[in-house]
Amino acid sequence: MIHAARERRCPVYNALVSRRVIGFYVWVGFVVAIAAPAPAFAQASAPPPQTRAEVLQRARDEKGRSVTPYERNGLERALNTVETRVQSYFGRDGVHPKFGSLDTGSGFAFGVGYLNRRLVDREGALNIWGAVSLKKYWAVEGSFDMPSLAAGWLTLGTYARHQDYPQQAFFGIGPESRRDDQTAFRIVNSMAGGRARVKPARSLTVGGGVEYFRHELAPGRSKEIPSIEALFTDATAAGLGTTRNFLRPYFTFEYDYRQPRNARKGGWYRLEASRFADATDQFTFNRVDVDLRQYGSILAERRVLAVRLYASTSEPGSGARVPFYLMPTLGGHDSLRGFRDYRFRGPHAILTQTEYRFEVWSGFDAALFYDAGKVTLRRSDLNFKDLEHDYGFGFRFNTDNGTILRIDAGFGSSDGKHLYIVFGDVF
Amino acid sequence: MSSKRITHQRVALGLLALVLSMVPVASQSPSFYPDDPIALDDDMSLDAAKVVRIADSNIYDFVENTFANPGVRHDVRAQNVNTIGDVPDSSWFVNRMGQRPLSTAELVRGPDRFDSVSLDGWKVSGDKSSGLQPGFRMTDPTGHLYQIEFDPPSNPEMATGAEIIGTAFYHAFGYHTVEVYIAELDPAKIEINPEARMTDPLVGKRRRLTRRDVDEVLSRAARMPNGHYRVLVSRFADGAPLGNFRYYGTRPDDPNDIIPHEDRRELRAARVFGAWLNHDDSRGVNSLDMLHTDGGRRYVKHYMFDFGSIMGSGTVFAQRHRAGNEYIVDWAPGWLTLATLGLYTRDWLHIDYPDVPPSVGRFEGRSFDPLEWRPEYPNSAFDNMRADDAFWAARIVAKFSDADIRAIVSKARYSDPRATDYITATLIERRNKVLKTWLTAANPLVDFALGSDGAFTFTNAAVAAGVATPATEYRVRWSRFDNSTGSTTGAIEATTTGTRMPAPPAVVKDAEFVQVDIASEHPQFSAWKAPVTVHFRRHSSGWGLVGVSRVQ
Repeated sequence: MIHAARERRCPVYNALVSRRVIGFYVWVGFVVAIAAPAPAFAQASAPPPQTRAEVLQRARDEKGRSVTPYERNGLERALNTVETRVQSYFGRDGVHPKFGSLDTGSGFAFGVGYLNRRLVDREGALNIWGAVSLKKYWAVEGSFDMPSLAAGWLTLGTYARHQDYPQQAFFGIGPESRRDDQTAFRIVNSMAGGRARVKPARSLTVGGGVEYFRHELAPGRSKEIPSIEALFTDATAAGLGTTRNFLRPYFTFEYDYRQPRNARKGGWYRLEASRFADATDQFTFNRVDVDLRQYGSILAERRVLAVRLYASTSEPGSGARVPFYLMPTLGGHDSLRGFRDYRFRGPHAILTQTEYRFEVWSGFDAALFYDAGKVTLRRSDLNFKDLEHDYGFGFRFNTDNGTILRIDAGFGSSDGKHLYIVFGDVF
Repeated sequence: MSSKRITHQRVALGLLALVLSMVPVASQSPSFYPDDPIALDDDMSLDAAKVVRIADSNIYDFVENTFANPGVRHDVRAQNVNTIGDVPDSSWFVNRMGQRPLSTAELVRGPDRFDSVSLDGWKVSGDKSSGLQPGFRMTDPTGHLYQIEFDPPSNPEMATGAEIIGTAFYHAFGYHTVEVYIAELDPAKIEINPEARMTDPLVGKRRRLTRRDVDEVLSRAARMPNGHYRVLVSRFADGAPLGNFRYYGTRPDDPNDIIPHEDRRELRAARVFGAWLNHDDSRGVNSLDMLHTDGGRRYVKHYMFDFGSIMGSGTVFAQRHRAGNEYIVDWAPGWLTLATLGLYTRDWLHIDYPDVPPSVGRFEGRSFDPLEWRPEYPNSAFDNMRADDAFWAARIVAKFSDADIRAIVSKARYSDPRATDYITATLIERRNKVLKTWLTAANPLVDFALGSDGAFTFTNAAVAAGVATPATEYRVRWSRFDNSTGSTTGAIEATTTGTRMPAPPAVVKDAEFVQVDIASEHPQFSAWKAPVTVHFRRHSSGWGLVGVSRVQ
C-alpha cells in the first residue's frame, strides 16, 4: 500500500525508475560505449606510445592542458590570515586589543591598548590601556618604563592607573568569617608611582619604589549580593565608608632561577616589604609578604612537582588599624581554589599549595592540586594548624614561557565546588 | 521471461561492452618498453609558465597533517620508480650515493661550489623572513644573496653544525639542497648596505635596517672566545621561490608534476633518512619549490632545506625529548597518561642522554628504533612508505662507511673533538639499526645478472651489509615472459643455497624475456619468503636486467 501511494504521488519518479526504463538506460549505455567511446578508448585510436618516456610525456601533456592555479581552502585561508596578520598583532607596538581579567572575580575583560617601545632611542616603552569586564569592572593604566638601561642591569619606570571595581567580595575579617555573610563593596583606586630595579646577578633582582594612591569605598553594585554596609560597620571592617590617601614606599628582593619560565625546575623566591602611610596615621601599617615557590621534575621534566609557601603579615602603627581592603585574601583561582573569590581576609595569612603536573600532550598538561591556608587576626597564629584546605584537578594549555589558559576544578572545601577558567598560571 | 531477468541480462551485456572497450588498450601496453628501465624522468620538459607562488602556513600545515590525513593513504608501489625499482633522476632527486660510491671529497663538498667563504667585504642586506634562528641576510661582493644564521648562546655550534651535516647527507642521498658554509663573522667588520630593509618586529612595517638591529640579533647569538660569531652561510638557490611543496597531491599549476607526492619513492623513503639523522622537522614547510629558467623553458625544482633541527639540535635549544619519538599530538599515549594520572610513562621519557658537549644537543642511538621513529606530525608520504621503499633508502644508507660519516661530521668543524666523536659514533649506531631494520624487512636480493653463458647471479644486500646471515635456501622459479600480455609459460623450479646458479636452457633458449621469481628462506626473516620478481630482456650481446619487483 505504501508503494502504491508513492506511485500515485510521484508519477515522474516512477517513470524514471521503472524497470523498463532502466533497461533502456543500459542499452543506451551499451550503444554509447561502442559509438562514443571513453577517453581511454579514444587514446587507443592514437598510435600507442612506443617508449616509457612517451607514456610519461603524454600524461604531462594531458595535465598541461588543464593546469590551474592552486586554490587555498577556507581553513587554509583563515589560518594563513591568523599567522600572517592576526598573530603578528599580538606583542607588537601600536594599538592592540586586550583580553583577560582585571582582577580576581572581575569576569572576562576586554579593551584596547597602545604600546610604543621605540621612545628615547628605543630605550623607553610607553604602554597605555583601558579595559572593561562583563561585571562592569573597568580600569585604565599608563606606564613608561626604561627596561634595558645599563645593558639590562637597571630598570626605571613610572606609572599611573585608575580602577573601578564595583563588586568586590567581602565575608568579614579573620578565619571565623561566615560564608553566608557574603557582601560586596565598590572600590575606586587612583594610583601613581615610580619604580626601579637592579639586577646585580642573572637570577637576582633588587628593587623598590614609591607610590601614592587613593582608595575610595562605596556600596557594592551587585544585584544578588547585599552591599557591605548591610552587615558590616567600620568596627568590623576597618576603613569602611572612608576615602583614604596612602603613600607606599616598598622594597623587593627576588631570586628567580626557574627553568623555563613555565617552570619545570628551579625556584622563585620573593620578599616584599611595604609601609602604607596614611595621611592621618589612622590606617598606617607595615606589611611584609614572602612568596617561595619551588619546582622539581622527573621523567624528562614531564612530571613536575610544584610547591608554594606564601605568608603575609601586617603591623599597624600605634593606635592605627589595617584597612580591610588592604589585607591579604585567600580563596579563588590563585589561592584556595576550593573556595570562592576573596573568601578569607585578614591582617595575616599563610598559604601552601602543592601541584603535581603531568604532560598529556605537548603543550597540554594536567594537574592534581592541594591547597591549604588560613588568615589570622594575630601574627602568633601564623602556623600550620587549622588550615582551610581543598583539592582538585586542572588542565593547562601552555608553552615554555607560561600558561596560556588554565582550567581548575576545586573540591573538598566547606565552600562547595568551584570551576575556574583563567588566563595564566597559578604559580 | 520476467522483466527483472531481462534487465539483469541487459546490465550484464552493457558492462561486458564497457569492459571489452578497455581491453585493447591494456593489451597494447607492454610490460617493458624499449627504453626501460629509464634512468631519467624528464619532468622539466613542459614549460611551467603558469606556476604561481603559494603562500605557506605553518599552522595550516600542522593542523591539516595532524587532524585531516591529507593525500591518499594506500599500500601501493611507489609510482615514480622505474621498472627495476630505482628512482630515476628528476626535478626532485638525482641519484648520487645510490648510484656510485662518492669520494670523501665529494661527500664533504656536497652542494657547495666553494671550498669556504669569507665574509670580508660582504654587506648586511636585510632581515630573515622566517625561522626561529637569529640571523639576517648578506650579499657577497658579486651581489649574490645569502642567509646568515647563528647558534643559540646555550648551545654554541649546535644548529650551524646540524645544518652543515644535514645538508651534506641529504645532498649525498640525492635531494636538491642549497649550499651552506661555516664562516666567522667579526662584529667590528660588519657593513650594512644603506639600502638594507627589514620588517620592524615591534610595528610590522618595513624600515631601514640599522646597526642596532644587527646588534639585537647578535645579542641572541653564541659568541666565540675571540669575540667573533660562528655563522651558517646559506646561499639562496637560483630561480624564483614558489613556496613549499607538500608531501601529498601534486601542484595543480605545474604540468610536469603528475605523480602524487605521497607516492613518490624518494619522499616516502625520506622517512628512513629522517629517522637515521633524527630529522624530526621533515615536513612540507621545510621544503622549497623554485622556478628555474633554462633557455627560455621554465620548470619547478624541488628542494629540501632547513636541517637546523636534526640530530640533537632543536635549532634554538637542545632537541626536545619527544622529538623523533612521538608526534606533537599522539592521541593514544596522551589518553593513557591522562587516564592513569601520569603513572603511565612513555618509553622515551626514560631515555638517559649522556653528558655531551652543548654543541651536540640531545641525541643518542641506544634507544633509537627506526620503526618507531616519528617526525613532528604525520606525513602522507611517510605513512605510505612500504618495505620496498624503505629497502631502497636503506641501500643508500648502507653505502655510507664509518669513514664517510666521520668526514661529513667533521665538516661541521666542532671545536670540541668530543662532539665530533660522539655524533659520529651515534650516527654509526643509528645507521646500523636502520640497516638491520630495513634491509631485512623485504627479500633483500639485489644486483641480479644473467650472463651470456647462462649464469644467474645475485647478491643478498642484508648479508653484504653484515646485518643478516645468508638465507638457508633460495627457491627459484624460471619462466618465459610474454612482454605484450604479461603472462609466463614453461615454468621450471629449482633451489640453491648459493647466489649463483645456471639458468635452465629450456627457459632461456630463444626467449626474448625471462622472468625469475626468487624466494628466500631464512629462519629469522619471514618477509624473505615473498619472492623478488626479476625480468631479463635479451640483447644482441646477452641479457639485460629490465625488471625488479620486490613487494607485490
